[in-house]
Amino acid sequence: MKTKILGHLKRESRMVIGLTILVYITLVSLETGHSAQEFPKPRGLVNDFANVVSPQHEQKLVQITKELLEKTGVSVVVVVVPDIGGEDYNEYATRLYADWGIGKKGKDQGVLIFVTVKERKMRIEIGYGLEGLIPDGMAGEIRDRYMVPYLKQDRFGEGLLNGTLVISQIIAKDAGISMSSKSPRRKVSKKTSGYSSLLFLLIFLGLAFLGGRRRGGLFPLLLIMAMGRGGYGAGYSRGGFGGSFGGFGGGFGGFGGGLSGGGGAGGGF
Amino acid sequence: MTKGQKIGLIVIAVIILALVIPYSYLKGTYNSLVQMDETVKGAWAQVENQLQRRYDLIPNYVETVKGYAKHEKEVFVKVTQARSRVAGAGTVQEKMEANNRLSSALARLLIVVERYPQLKANTNFIRLQDELAGTENRIAVERRRFNESVRVYNTKVRSFPTNFVANMFGFEKAVFFEVPKEKQEVPKIKF
Repeated sequence: MKTKILGHLKRESRMVIGLTILVYITLVSLETGHSAQEFPKPRGLVNDFANVVSPQHEQKLVQITKELLEKTGVSVVVVVVPDIGGEDYNEYATRLYADWGIGKKGKDQGVLIFVTVKERKMRIEIGYGLEGLIPDGMAGEIRDRYMVPYLKQDRFGEGLLNGTLVISQIIAKDAGISMSSKSPRRKVSKKTSGYSSLLFLLIFLGLAFLGGRRRGGLFPLLLIMAMGRGGYGAGYSRGGFGGSFGGFGGGFGGFGGGLSGGGGAGGGF
Repeated sequence: MTKGQKIGLIVIAVIILALVIPYSYLKGTYNSLVQMDETVKGAWAQVENQLQRRYDLIPNYVETVKGYAKHEKEVFVKVTQARSRVAGAGTVQEKMEANNRLSSALARLLIVVERYPQLKANTNFIRLQDELAGTENRIAVERRRFNESVRVYNTKVRSFPTNFVANMFGFEKAVFFEVPKEKQEVPKIKF
């Protein structure tokens, strides 16, 4: 029956109907696309979307945040994104917090530790329920002392771990609970490898230059390979990580519609 | 049942329906308007909380800056005046205007601060600066949420056929908390 009717319709009119439906669908999807944010979906309490945190650091971060959530019910969520398209990072962090709903609704006890790699900005966003415990000044101090010095050197894992440890300990102490993880190092240890690796690179470059002239380009290749190993930007593989959140039982724990109101501190690094 | 009785019953049913349907419509619309109105008021209360927080923070901040930048009298006076205007504001509209004025006075103060590296190195000042930056950010967040609730409410009040009900019971359009054109951005505090 349907095909028969369709068959009777002229080709043009069928095209018009098809186009109309297409336009309609596009309009509807545009509309929903506009209202819904383009935020990534949470993977768990630790979300390294930029692949700049080493697996060891990530594992530790997961361990700390999970322990804190289980013992105190407070969600500390770590998020690293490659870029936010030039948007204001403070606003982005606040909206991401609301979109994910960190912490329980009404209690709003959560913290979002946010880093965007390309813009080189970070923010500690404090949920409504923790504003009294971690005022903006304190959040700023955590940022300046424990995080930014590391982030500046692209040591994302260490910076995030330090910040997360300090914040977790403040929360645990307030709840009268002791964490199994130890205190973070307070001062940034001087990056001793800085000069030596630079020297190494210079020697290598020299060799590569000479080698390139003599043997026709084997050294440059080696150089590229060696450099690829060095930078954090090269990325870590995240094989076999997906299963780690099974313990939360149905969905991720720690996301219950909590809200923040722009409290905390942010800045560049 | 005779034919007359049947007709009578139908007439009664129609009358009841004619009363019940408009009533339930009115009730639903009215209540949703009330609810949205309350949401707007709640959002405004949140904005006011943060404005109050800033208001309380300013004297301490100004005193700290004064310690290092004694000669910038004019800016301090402007901030203090703007702050006292905020205290004197009564209606919501007045509060919005007074606070916008305070925002631009503060923005000027922040520019002055940039010229004093010693001040910027003071630990006490850095914490105060963080508190102020945090408060400005909170104000921005709560203002955005307030404006969003106003938008939802105003759309409802103005759209057909709710506008008749809104008119009947005197629900008026709410006012947005707009940032003046000359100063679109919240005073950005750099680190």
